[in-house]
Amino acid sequence: MTVPTPIESRTRGIPGWALTLTGGMVLAGALFFATNPSGSNPPILGTPQPSGSGGLNAQSIIKAAGCQACHGPDLAGQAAFPSLHGVKNGPTSANLQQLGKDRPDDWANLWIAGTDPAVAGIARNGMPVFAGPPTNLSPEEIATVVEYLKTLP
Amino acid sequence: MAVNPKKLRPYDQPPKVRRPIIPNEPDNAATAFLVAALVWFLAAAGIGLLWVAYQLFPDQLTLHLEMPTVSGVLTFELSPATTTSGFWNSLVYGWLGNAGLGAIFFITPRLLGRRLVSETMAAGAAALWNIGLAAGLVALYVPQLSGSGALTEFPLPVAGVLLLALLLANAAFWRTVLASAERQPYVSIWYFGVALLALLGLYGLISLAQLLSVVKLFSLPATGMALATAFYGRALETLCLGGMAIGTLYYVIPRAAANPLYSWGLAMLGWLLWLGLSTLAPLASLVDVSVPFAITQIGNVATFLLVLPAFLVVANLLLSLSGRWTLVLSPGTIPFALVALTFLVANALLEALGSLGSVRALVGSTEWGIGVRLFALLGTATFAFLALADHAFPRLLRRDWGGTLLAEATLWTAFAGAAVAGLALIAGGIVHGSLLAQAATPAEMDGFVFWFRLGLGAGIGLTALAAAVLALNVFLMYTSARRAEYAIVLDAAAVPAAH
Repeated sequence: MTVPTPIESRTRGIPGWALTLTGGMVLAGALFFATNPSGSNPPILGTPQPSGSGGLNAQSIIKAAGCQACHGPDLAGQAAFPSLHGVKNGPTSANLQQLGKDRPDDWANLWIAGTDPAVAGIARNGMPVFAGPPTNLSPEEIATVVEYLKTLP
Repeated sequence: MAVNPKKLRPYDQPPKVRRPIIPNEPDNAATAFLVAALVWFLAAAGIGLLWVAYQLFPDQLTLHLEMPTVSGVLTFELSPATTTSGFWNSLVYGWLGNAGLGAIFFITPRLLGRRLVSETMAAGAAALWNIGLAAGLVALYVPQLSGSGALTEFPLPVAGVLLLALLLANAAFWRTVLASAERQPYVSIWYFGVALLALLGLYGLISLAQLLSVVKLFSLPATGMALATAFYGRALETLCLGGMAIGTLYYVIPRAAANPLYSWGLAMLGWLLWLGLSTLAPLASLVDVSVPFAITQIGNVATFLLVLPAFLVVANLLLSLSGRWTLVLSPGTIPFALVALTFLVANALLEALGSLGSVRALVGSTEWGIGVRLFALLGTATFAFLALADHAFPRLLRRDWGGTLLAEATLWTAFAGAAVAGLALIAGGIVHGSLLAQAATPAEMDGFVFWFRLGLGAGIGLTALAAAVLALNVFLMYTSARRAEYAIVLDAAAVPAAH
């Protein structure tokens, strides 16, 4: 049996070029931060940004979020998944009737978000999305989608 | 009195040695983690093919099965959402997590010159980690059981098992480091230490937030939870997987080249920069109106500056190859490691590019980010662990094997797979971003993006082929190669200064 040999180092010091490069880049980063400190963040990432009219924004979000994979290409429902048509008149599913009565204005938003304390008792999670690793839609995007759903017959 | 060996009486038989449930031989934990990693690589690649199929045809292929249980009806759901979760979780925790932990438990004893203080603890961690992952993966397909958020979907009991595994892995690692006489451990140990602590800390915190939410003690709002999981996903990539991969490369390149490391000081400078910047870079994921812009901007600057430690690592390791450049052309560990270094630089440059405001505005909400992530996961991390697999499997399985045609096939198919998949999504992201900026209709966007997703399919297909070839290579090594003895670190007294 042989014994492993140690991994030695040719030198213990830091080469001059590495120190110069490090100093230069850190200085450049600090300068960049100092000159660009202000601005504003958009709503949370994870879905496409709206690009056109309201209806188109919602359709883009719905498409990217993969809603149609379960609720059908026209969102009219398929298999065990309910239709999203007719939500302008309130929930169509039996298990959402109480939520619809309690929160007539934003029951659909809460249902999509899923993690809001208002729906915590129902023991479910937010609607999944499909574009890459699952993440949640932002409240603004959910509002856009709900407005669009309310226009469906 | 002569004893007839064919007819032993009970008192003539040697006493039976009771074998422990968890074996305690040297390298057991590393072997368990690396063999499990290989199986998960195959599983992740297989689920990846289904993930791509859903990317191309999202409206088809869904499957719902209902199972009545005592507590209600459970729905097994094969859908785009569950398959996406399955792919990322099996890739990150299954393949890369197992391979990273296997690398740590293979390399640490060899660098510290002593075997693990508790091989049983580390082997127990391997068992718990893989049992937890298997249960978690099944739960992902039952929406009632799984949670939400990228890479945080496992149910709480599964998260508990994984946390216990991480706790055991940390204990086995840190007890070995503290028991070692080495006061200035080799740079790989520094990377591994941070990666292990970060993985335990991050997974513990995100699981605690979910637990508090379930017991209704504290609940983050939906946006807060989404931000927390975004931060977690990025930190997992930079601190945990990045640390494991770089630590592995620092071991395999000098070892395979039989050369000293170029510079200890340069290595430690790179480690310090990586530690600071990798901790700050995930702040760039906190993109929401509720987060002050200055915080996100710190993350963006750190993401940009991560090019620096990546460059220092690559320079140090390339200079360590001095005089041994012919190894680049020969099949084996070095070509795998060099591809990993190439992806390390490419990924750092792409992340830096993506941190610029104008680029973010164009591609921030497209497939670009997934493509860059594939460069990190299927490129840097995968090739670092493939290099380790090439170096470690003959030693762990005690076989005389190396430089085969199958290793070459693994190298090129995995390289082509990662490059094609990553580039397809990066290019697709640029096109998608341009179309969004032009307010194109969803149908127009679909028409363009479809072809790039087809490229993604080709890339994932090649990766699946690479995983299959690697598995075949290891199988043939185990079954047909000559037995060989390699160095095994037994204890501190046996090899006081061995690395």
